[in-house]
Amino acid sequence: MSYIEVNDLKKTFTVRKKRTKGQLFREKQKIEALKGVSFSVEKGELVGYIGPNGAGKSTTVKILSGILTPDGGEALVDGRVPWLERREYVKHVGVVFGQRSQLWWDVPIIDSFSLLKDIYRLSKPDYEDRLKELTQALQLEELMRTPLRLLSLGQRMRAELCGSLLHRPKLLFLDEPTIGLDAVSKLALRDFLKWENKEHGTTIMLTTHDMEDIAALCSRVMVLGHGQKLFDGKLPDLLERFDTVRTVSVKYDKEGIMPELPQGLDVSGDENGLRITYSPADFPTARLLTALQAAGNISEMTLQPENIDTLIAAMYKEMDL
Amino acid sequence: MNTLKLYLRSMGMLLKSHLQYPASFFMQTIAQLVMEGGEMMVVILIVDRFEQLNGWTGGNLFFFFGVMSVSFYITEFFGRGVTGDFPAMVRTGKLDTLLLRPRGILTQVLCSGVDPRRITCIAVGVAALVMGSTLSGVEWSFLKALALFEAICMSCMLILGLFLIEAVFTIHSVKSVELVNALTYGGRSACQYPVDIYPAPLRVLFTVVAPFALTQHVPAAYILGKPLYGWPGWTAFVTPLSGAAVFCIMTILFNRGMRFYRSTGS
Repeated sequence: MSYIEVNDLKKTFTVRKKRTKGQLFREKQKIEALKGVSFSVEKGELVGYIGPNGAGKSTTVKILSGILTPDGGEALVDGRVPWLERREYVKHVGVVFGQRSQLWWDVPIIDSFSLLKDIYRLSKPDYEDRLKELTQALQLEELMRTPLRLLSLGQRMRAELCGSLLHRPKLLFLDEPTIGLDAVSKLALRDFLKWENKEHGTTIMLTTHDMEDIAALCSRVMVLGHGQKLFDGKLPDLLERFDTVRTVSVKYDKEGIMPELPQGLDVSGDENGLRITYSPADFPTARLLTALQAAGNISEMTLQPENIDTLIAAMYKEMDL
Repeated sequence: MNTLKLYLRSMGMLLKSHLQYPASFFMQTIAQLVMEGGEMMVVILIVDRFEQLNGWTGGNLFFFFGVMSVSFYITEFFGRGVTGDFPAMVRTGKLDTLLLRPRGILTQVLCSGVDPRRITCIAVGVAALVMGSTLSGVEWSFLKALALFEAICMSCMLILGLFLIEAVFTIHSVKSVELVNALTYGGRSACQYPVDIYPAPLRVLFTVVAPFALTQHVPAAYILGKPLYGWPGWTAFVTPLSGAAVFCIMTILFNRGMRFYRSTGS
């Protein structure tokens, strides 16, 4: 039995359409946010959950964190049904919404944390230990007396993380945690998540649009689209499936050298050297490199896979999302 | 006990938040004073013009006004989460964050709102109570004080209960329903005056549906020594319990409604 066991999860929302002229009542429209999603997650896994906007990612997170009741299907987390025993269940779950604050806006963050201690009924030594550990790991010591509203977005995210981990959850959901963060904050956040996962064995499920998050953190990625699970496995495998284009830049020690290349490759050249775009499926990389080396002495060369985001966009397009 | 402690600590924190903007806080408190003072002026003008209203003297009318003001604004002061902020919590998704914590939702909603600006309104109400009881020549006894205390507590529960009706609608429709304001704010305005001055339909409304007559007017009339409808004295201690009943029923409906809650946005 896995730690998280989700089976054929369904959720439908009813949305009222805008009334058109001449109509007495507004038409109702059913939107299937989840059409039977199944997966399982083991304890201590770090899973990425991606998909275009409106794919049902947040709905899944909300169901698994006990906020929403699904219309059909089963979900068991650590032997509990999230939406049936909400109060018991959420004691062991932490959730961070990237776009929604869970701390109190106008008071110093230390006050928020101390109120959370009462909400979760934490014992004093336990709380103090954990707070110390988290503030060190998240570098919050200097900010403890600052009201949340005066923090920068990155600082706020760190404070939110600290708040949602105070009660030592065994399972952490992150809904777009890096949204709007600068590069430094993103890196720090990822390091922290890795640390928390390793140090405490916390199972982490992360929804994001930032493929770098997935690449840096997740051993496993699930793709959701139109309320269905489309892929479940390792990121490299996913990328391989859609990895259609690569770029090689080459610079020779002498100018004007033109390697003999087969037809069908996109070649462009300027004073910085040649740029060749090819697809590894049609043309093995090894053969290309041999051809390039045969032409002369190479002084500089880079081989780039297509940008991860471009790949994902291609994938969404191919899956018709 | 833990819940009470949590509530008090939350209140403390929210008060701190309000005081982060002292100028705004001060101005709004004054505005509240002007507003509620204006309401009281209306009563004073009516008393000045008519002297008596259906057998109630001016002093009696101030007393009724005072009971309503004190109860209503104590509720708004301490129960702001229910009386004011709940629709916004649903709309902005703050309710989701409450659902993530191992506590009752109603407890947390109550813990997330306080409106200290109402302190001036309560002060006006207390002034009306003092004025009313002095002018009416009330001889205070332990029982009368108890009746007043019970009337105010039960009215607070009733008012919370009525605001919960709005909350239940909000859960289902996401946007708040203005109609319910007829019971809450409408009830406050109407029941500043004793219920027996109104025609039968309104009397039924404020006795059966929103029983302000039972939680306030029966005990207040008892304290003033002019029992409403000539009911015996013990009714002044029994009828206010209807406030607690409304609150309990609405709490159950609220918790039931939460099962149908659908959150907004991502």
